[in-house]
Amino acid sequence: MNWRLTFLIVGCLAAIWALLSIGGFPVATVFKDMVFGSFGNVKIFSKTLREVAPLLIAGTAVFVGLRAGLFNIGVEGQYTVGALACAAVAVWIPGPVGIVLGTICGMIVGALWAFPAAWIKAYRNGHEVITTIMLNNIATFATTALVAGPLKDPASDNTSTASIPMMLPSLTKKPEITIALMVGVTLVTLLWYWIKRTVAGYELEAVGANPSAAEMAGIAVRRVTISAMLASGAIAGLAGALQVLVVEGRFYKDFAQGYGFDSLGVALLAGGNPLGLIPSAFAFGAIKKGASFITVEHGVPKGMTLIILGFSIVVFAAMRYRKQAMRVSQ
Amino acid sequence: MEGITKQFGTVVALDNVSLNVRKGSIHAVVGENGAGKTTLMKILYGAYPATTGRYSVNSKSQRFKNSAEAISAGIGMVSQHYSIIAELTCLENLMLGSEPGWMISKTPAIQRANDLAKQMGFQFDWEASAATLSPAGAQKLEILKLLWRNSQIMILDEPTAMLTPQDSDALFASLKMLVDRGATVIVVTHRLPEVIEHCDHVTVLRGGKLVADEPVNESEANLASRLAELIVGHAVTMPEPRVANLGESILVVRDVMVKGSRGDDAVKRANFELRAGEIVGVAGVDGSGQRELFAALYGTTPIAAGKIEFHGASIPATPRERLQAEIRWIPEDRHAQAVIEEWRLDENAALGQQRQTPYSDGARVNRTGRKEAAEQIAAKFKTKFGKISDPIASLSGGNQQRFVNARALYASPKLILAFQPARGLDIEATRAFYEELSSAVTAGATALVVSFDLDELLQYTDRILVMNRGELYDAGQTRDRLDIGKLMVGAA
Repeated sequence: MNWRLTFLIVGCLAAIWALLSIGGFPVATVFKDMVFGSFGNVKIFSKTLREVAPLLIAGTAVFVGLRAGLFNIGVEGQYTVGALACAAVAVWIPGPVGIVLGTICGMIVGALWAFPAAWIKAYRNGHEVITTIMLNNIATFATTALVAGPLKDPASDNTSTASIPMMLPSLTKKPEITIALMVGVTLVTLLWYWIKRTVAGYELEAVGANPSAAEMAGIAVRRVTISAMLASGAIAGLAGALQVLVVEGRFYKDFAQGYGFDSLGVALLAGGNPLGLIPSAFAFGAIKKGASFITVEHGVPKGMTLIILGFSIVVFAAMRYRKQAMRVSQ
Repeated sequence: MEGITKQFGTVVALDNVSLNVRKGSIHAVVGENGAGKTTLMKILYGAYPATTGRYSVNSKSQRFKNSAEAISAGIGMVSQHYSIIAELTCLENLMLGSEPGWMISKTPAIQRANDLAKQMGFQFDWEASAATLSPAGAQKLEILKLLWRNSQIMILDEPTAMLTPQDSDALFASLKMLVDRGATVIVVTHRLPEVIEHCDHVTVLRGGKLVADEPVNESEANLASRLAELIVGHAVTMPEPRVANLGESILVVRDVMVKGSRGDDAVKRANFELRAGEIVGVAGVDGSGQRELFAALYGTTPIAAGKIEFHGASIPATPRERLQAEIRWIPEDRHAQAVIEEWRLDENAALGQQRQTPYSDGARVNRTGRKEAAEQIAAKFKTKFGKISDPIASLSGGNQQRFVNARALYASPKLILAFQPARGLDIEATRAFYEELSSAVTAGATALVVSFDLDELLQYTDRILVMNRGELYDAGQTRDRLDIGKLMVGAA
């Protein structure tokens, strides 16, 4: 820990302190409750874990793209369409078959949503950041239209689908570990093995690190680019599908709630190692939960909690990239 | 500069080195890779602080904290890898970092640019994109950048590494002109002929220590071999001339045409055959179609017409299949094409062979096999490195090149395509590479080597093909520099 980092942490804390004081909040209590709001007791901690699961899976989606040199901002949209596809299937076919089919459909639809961006990147060199942002907008409006129209629950006034008849059970109760969290951790572990130990993973990282060197090494760069983007979309779709099956039980308008965008931060903080996604998603989830707790408890405005979240990310990023910078400068 | 010592961690890069450069002279600093030449220059340029020692510029003691201070003291440096930004125009590159104000008005800027160019006898289309510049053009622009900043002391690191003999001579003529007008030039190089022909004074570094510092006496009979000895620390033996013992035909190229990136006929007609046991050189001015010919041989660019046969059958279509067929290449651009800089040595060792033993079983990475192979590759040309798990970016340029060269020769390749394999290598390392290449072809392989250094090809290859504007000529067994030079410019 050097003085600059210390200074940064103290500075961020001071800034948050100042903001809260100006807002007239009891600063010490708010800080305490922020920690309490994410770790206070088993029940609260279970809720934090619920928050972690979609961040972890969607973060994995972003991560896969990043390793291939793609900045998939479209996770938000792929998550949304994946969730709707899953909800629609699970409502239509009740029971375990619907759950399995819904999950698969969510992944396929997520991948399809990423495909235009993948193709444009590989064959027309159109930047994936632009194309995926566009696709996000299309996803938001198209799904809203669908849940306001053909897929709307006729028995309800909300713009949402009907509730699915069967949801996925939790694995444990105290604290609650959901299937989504387990899937996330398994996915990250498999990804770690795949990237570090298989030739296909090696080739994916080569394309991400230096596409011309990858081409000279006989790697089919376009094919890898397209596959990585499709995989990223499928994983984002999986995150959306599991959120329906584990937490929400239906799809409604504006379903994604920014999980797709938060997952960008999760993946960036994870650095180069997939296993880094776990602490990164956990940190994000805990801060988000703590922040929403102080909103409820003390009426701290949403904007203020976003500022706190932002400062925390700056500090984490500084710690993470400082290590990297030191390695490079050696 | 007096008593300069520089330590990187525990490594002593420079040990009590002094350098005295007289105003108005061309001063050469020579030495092997890792001798400390570039480090010494970077200290003078303010890029690194010296651990101990002091230096003065124009009898004024200095201690630059950064390059900006050195620049304002009249020192300029052109590093080995040009800092021309391809996306900008020539004029924007020229002004980069020292724009005349916060608003740039073009007319006076172009006026001044033209004046500077005229002084040097250069010509530039200032509005053109810098991407269109040849290496020689980029080098000229770098020199003008120094003049634009009113540099009085110019440091050039390996300025001729990418230039043809003609361009190198032209460069030194320009430098001479600058020196006659009172500028001072320090040239870091390992090419002894240019030291003897063009420089006034030479400083030799070896292993971070000063071993010689003397005026260049052109009339001294064995100056080149004596300097070479000082550089490597022992007598340099030149290789025995090879006797090529030709075997089976390996590669046949027939009426091959290749389009350039702008749709031009970059290779108009190439016909040649490579047989086991020979090293064939490709001479030519940079940009004569060598790059496109090699891209067609790698399989990264399709051929527009003609046929390439490998071992009597049509050559496989993709780069991957060609690599699997024991064809290896040493790409031109080390940073961009040959290595992944932030990756470890063992990961880079596998690059290109990642699906083959000993690097993997086709699906899973064999980490032990990869590590062992990497160690053998690094040992082949005595690559200097810390750990096999260090990023390859931690190696000096010359050591990276050794590693890339050794990788191409690893595990008995059949055809070796080498584009400027000696770039950044010193005498000893170049000789070691060609010796190993020679034993590889003696063992039944064949090799095609592009170099812009005609002397290198004359010394180490069995016969020479010459490229000029996309045409390929067979110079046969000719060893006559002038004859080949004529073919290079199309005057034959």
